[in-house]
Amino acid sequence: MKKTLSVLLSLALVVTMAAGCSGGTTTSSEDSDVIKIGVFEPLTGANAAGGELEVEGVELANQLRPEVLGKKVELVIADNKSDKAEATTAAARLIEKDKVVAILGSWGSSLSIAAGDVVKTNQIPAVALSATNPQVTAGNDYYFRVCFLDPFQGTVMANYAYKNLNAKKVAIIQEVSNDYSVGLAKFFTDSFTKLTGDPSSIVATGNYNTGDQDFNGILTNIKAANPDVIFAPGNFTESALIIKQARALGITAPFIGGDTWETNEFITVGGADVEGAVMSTFFDDTNPLTEAGKTFVAEYKKAYPDRDNIAAVTALGYDGYMMTLDAIERAGSADPVAIRDALAATKDFEGATGMITIDENGDASKNEAIIKTVKNGIFTYMDSVTID
Amino acid sequence: MKETQNNIGAYLKLHWKTAVFLVVLLVGIGLADNFVDSYVRRLLNLCAIYVIVSLAMNLVNGFTGQFSLGQAGFMAIGAYTVAVFTVPIESRAAIFYLEPMAPFLANIQLPFIVALILGGLASVVAAFFIGSPCLRLRGDYLAIATLGFSEIIRIVFTNTQSITNGALGIKSIPTISSLWWTYGTALLIIIATVLLINSTYGRAFKSIREDEIAAEAMGVGLFKTKMTSFLIGAFFTGVGGGLFAALLGTVDPKQFYFTLTYNFLLIIVLGGMGSISGTIIASFVVTLGQEALRFLDEPMAFGLDLPIFRPGLRMVVFSFLLMVIVLFYRKGLMGTNELTWDFMALKYQSIKKKLGGKKTSNEGGGN
Repeated sequence: MKKTLSVLLSLALVVTMAAGCSGGTTTSSEDSDVIKIGVFEPLTGANAAGGELEVEGVELANQLRPEVLGKKVELVIADNKSDKAEATTAAARLIEKDKVVAILGSWGSSLSIAAGDVVKTNQIPAVALSATNPQVTAGNDYYFRVCFLDPFQGTVMANYAYKNLNAKKVAIIQEVSNDYSVGLAKFFTDSFTKLTGDPSSIVATGNYNTGDQDFNGILTNIKAANPDVIFAPGNFTESALIIKQARALGITAPFIGGDTWETNEFITVGGADVEGAVMSTFFDDTNPLTEAGKTFVAEYKKAYPDRDNIAAVTALGYDGYMMTLDAIERAGSADPVAIRDALAATKDFEGATGMITIDENGDASKNEAIIKTVKNGIFTYMDSVTID
Repeated sequence: MKETQNNIGAYLKLHWKTAVFLVVLLVGIGLADNFVDSYVRRLLNLCAIYVIVSLAMNLVNGFTGQFSLGQAGFMAIGAYTVAVFTVPIESRAAIFYLEPMAPFLANIQLPFIVALILGGLASVVAAFFIGSPCLRLRGDYLAIATLGFSEIIRIVFTNTQSITNGALGIKSIPTISSLWWTYGTALLIIIATVLLINSTYGRAFKSIREDEIAAEAMGVGLFKTKMTSFLIGAFFTGVGGGLFAALLGTVDPKQFYFTLTYNFLLIIVLGGMGSISGTIIASFVVTLGQEALRFLDEPMAFGLDLPIFRPGLRMVVFSFLLMVIVLFYRKGLMGTNELTWDFMALKYQSIKKKLGGKKTSNEGGGN
């Protein structure tokens, strides 16, 4: 009886697999009335939350502008499981099986880097939405991005610390296992020491790993160095814990960080202790920088009336889609290489997150960032900073 | 069954079938190499790499009965060796932009094959250091130590910024796309494992798995034999890791979380602990299955708009499959059997008999 049952179950599995194969082949049939754009995001695994927010933005943009060149745009969403091996197969699948003409994504720079080779060899343009690592576009003519880079964000925060907070001595706490955090810390150090002209103005550096809980060792060292400001780019949970433990140790220096802090968990974990924490980000829904930004906010509120705030990455997802469609329109065809050339020539494109001009590396040369702070348990707009 | 399996004479008699099979296989790989698109090629390459790493894991866990969970760590060593030594020198400055590469490494570039073997050897060295204390003990110590080791390796690679580029990882590794690299290596490793398992060493491995005390009484040196198996497994895994790095073209420490090890554990449990052919079949089923089941992630699977069809459902299928295996097929797909011609003939006979309506319950395909 057991045997029969198990045989039946295995059979059911084989049948579902076969169904999957046949289902895949029917959808890949060429249809000239449809332009397919691949969305390649982590929808399961460690980065699922970020991936989902970006997909929301892309889907919203797709609803607003479902056609280009008189053809319908179809989104093909592929999950990359927050896994590099899966990221490369997902990208290859979008290109070979679904025949997409362009790809959007992915959340997480390392996943985008892994897919970089695939898009390059197959000559399909890709637009990274929130991947800030310079290596995503470096040496790859087919990868573009709509967000600003780690160097820019590092510079913004260094300027903020130096000019607005009058800091002379800064301590850095970096999440050493996170490429984003390490990059930001490095570029912050570079521009801050340039501003002060004093190479010893970074008085202490602490490293921690993703998932760490106890930061008292690092913080005791930092307390001894007595910095004016503490720069702690990194994951929101750990950062909130760091701030909590620092306050418990009696460290009063203000904490500043990057865009990853802007999540509700940061406030839930940190509570009253994260009041006054300052971070740079891409987008603010109460103060959109452009007309496109206002449209985006209005449409988003219509589509998701129950949400309190709009994540910056959602706005970037919206921008990535709109910029790609703009490029397709200018290219006048759905030929991937023509789209690539049009993307590379993007100039003063009005996105929800600001004006986007693609530079020679394929990066969006944005010069405007937004500074936010936590006030009464809510992320509040403080300032927008322009750096040349 | 057991006698024929270990009898080289029987193999020789049936040699022509195996030879024909091998020729067909090689022609098949050659054809596939020329005609498949890059998506299928990538999947097939991944299958071959999974075969290599799972086989190495099965050699230690299935054949020698030592529960090792260090696959991710050994793969990381192999992958990073290939990455560090094969990245073109001119692109290194751009990759190591936070901190320049250590001067003693910065100007060394090795051919892929040399780096691959070096990666395997580096894994062997690491395995020697974990194995020498742990393999002297009985019980679960090896599992704990290897699990810890793979995490330690990952953290070390995260912090050695000037060698591994830390969390930023290394990109622009010259990639392999030909199926011959992966399938050539996989074939060599499969043949080596088959020869090893059927040799004196292989019998010693199995005797340790069955009963350590009895094996020792028969004159099998426990530590030396376990160590041999462990080191060979580490070498294969390192090579598999190197191929993995060259397939993806990029490495970073986050790829090698200990959860990676469980992929291979799933494969060997599914295929059967102690079966080479089971491991190979399971590697293909798991790797191709993950892609084939992608339609379950879409909201409109089977034309039904059900809320359960959402990203991640395809993973549930594997959990379910594992549960079925553990409940009904405790020994996995193949148990400790191999997919030999004899085995297939026997299966064919038993199925024919069953379908013939003879309800003889104790005969047939039970294994």
